[in-house]
Amino acid sequence: ANTLRLYLTCIRNTLEAAMCLQNFPCQEVERHNKPEIELKTGPELLLNPVLICRNEAEKCLIETSINSLRISLKVKQTDELENILTKKFLRFLSMRAEAFQVLRRKPVQGYDISFLITNYHCEEMQKQKLIDFIVQFMEDIDKEISELKLSVNTRGRLVATEFLKQFI
Amino acid sequence: MSAIAVHQFAQCITCHAWSPDHSMIAFCPNNNEVHIHKLVEDKWERIHVLQKHDQIVSGIDWSIRSNRIVTVSHDRNSYVWNKEGADWMPTLVILRLNRAALCVQWSPRENKFAVGSGAKTVCICYYEQDNNWWVSKLIRKRHDSSVTSVAWHPNNILLATTSTDGKCRVFSTFIKGVDTRGSGTSSAGDTKFGEQIVQLDLSFCWAFGVKWSPSGKTLAYVGHNSMIYFVDEVGPAPSAQTVAFRDLPLRDVLFVSERMVIGVGFDCNPMVFAADERGLWSFLRFLGERKISSSGAKYGSQFSEAFGKLYGQSKHGISNDIGEASRSRGGIHENCINCIVPVKKEGQSTNTRFSTSGLDGKVVTWDLENQGDLSEYL
Repeated sequence: ANTLRLYLTCIRNTLEAAMCLQNFPCQEVERHNKPEIELKTGPELLLNPVLICRNEAEKCLIETSINSLRISLKVKQTDELENILTKKFLRFLSMRAEAFQVLRRKPVQGYDISFLITNYHCEEMQKQKLIDFIVQFMEDIDKEISELKLSVNTRGRLVATEFLKQFI
Repeated sequence: MSAIAVHQFAQCITCHAWSPDHSMIAFCPNNNEVHIHKLVEDKWERIHVLQKHDQIVSGIDWSIRSNRIVTVSHDRNSYVWNKEGADWMPTLVILRLNRAALCVQWSPRENKFAVGSGAKTVCICYYEQDNNWWVSKLIRKRHDSSVTSVAWHPNNILLATTSTDGKCRVFSTFIKGVDTRGSGTSSAGDTKFGEQIVQLDLSFCWAFGVKWSPSGKTLAYVGHNSMIYFVDEVGPAPSAQTVAFRDLPLRDVLFVSERMVIGVGFDCNPMVFAADERGLWSFLRFLGERKISSSGAKYGSQFSEAFGKLYGQSKHGISNDIGEASRSRGGIHENCINCIVPVKKEGQSTNTRFSTSGLDGKVVTWDLENQGDLSEYL
């Protein structure tokens, strides 16, 4: 729990520095405005990506550009069951990415879930609240997965008990 | 408190400019229009809407003597608006740009204006009487990336530009027929149009917000790496000072006097930089009050409750009853400040008033009159 606080504080501070986005029209295509971190049209518009690792299993990659920011998370998965639960749960959220606005529909290769924040999000919403949301999300994910695992195990036990009762 | 007027004009303001008598303000509310508001008996009323652009208007400048507004937009166009009777009539500007225009500024003598663009070029436009339009001359092949900001030297010939390739360049924009040779500094008069006088490679990150001091002796610009650069004696042997500060990067600067610069940016609070008697620049303080951000969140963790939180999380400024994690950084502005404009009468070299506008849609006018510790720098 101690390392979780430090991990989240580190991510929060990095996001405060990284979320300095501004409206920037595309240099390659006229009249277009694209998130530079996704399309990478110009190397001078990208900043160095920052990788924050809590341990080998949990890490966070923050990539920034002049008008957009991508945060990719790898969530702790200790056994097969957690693996499946995480995948299903995060896929459920990612499929509903429009409701979250800042969520990316597919996670970046090698990670479990990704956020894409553009300058438009920073104009509509407050930067501090966006950072709070991301950090809160990270805190809640662990809790959700362990709860899901608990309920799966409980349900499995109940079903098995009921099924095997007929053989007593 | 040095902020003397705060007004929320729109949800988000891209840029703004004041009329010569400061009774009207023109701004872009983050769309393709320019709104002009007038102060009528202590209330701001919208009197005009200039609608000619197709995309967001990225730069507005209002000339003081000739009362003309120039607007540039991401749709590669620019218009010069003249007041005829009660309406503003647009005049076409042949910019010859093939990418978005990012910034614009009238020259001190208001016979030219400069436009920085995403096409890695700078357009210098002047009026051609015969055809009744504004024609441009382009400075090409000098910048490696988009030109984010332009600033005219008081001699009407030198132009400083900053770009996302991290460099600040000074060019000569002498145009035959528009500028007169000979008067003033000889060095500026000898150069051709588009000739690069000096290239400053001080920043390793994007450069924004360049401005000359009132006399033209010093040049200041900011880099996205939270640094501000001051350059003296711009020419063959410039001397530069860099001031690094520990807060978020700046977006724009303004010379209030020869020895004081106000910087605005992602901290939502204007920063004061001043030079002491020896000419060494340093960060003095923030202008507005600061609230310290604190972290720490409380949370419940039932499945449905979490879902409700994730969906209805306070992204829009409504406070969450579970726990407020952090406060906003700045005092008066709630979001990034991206434009700072002097509010001064023509002819004065020092002004104590300036206005800032930002992504929170507010325009705040500041006055340095009653700031005791700053008066020695004015």
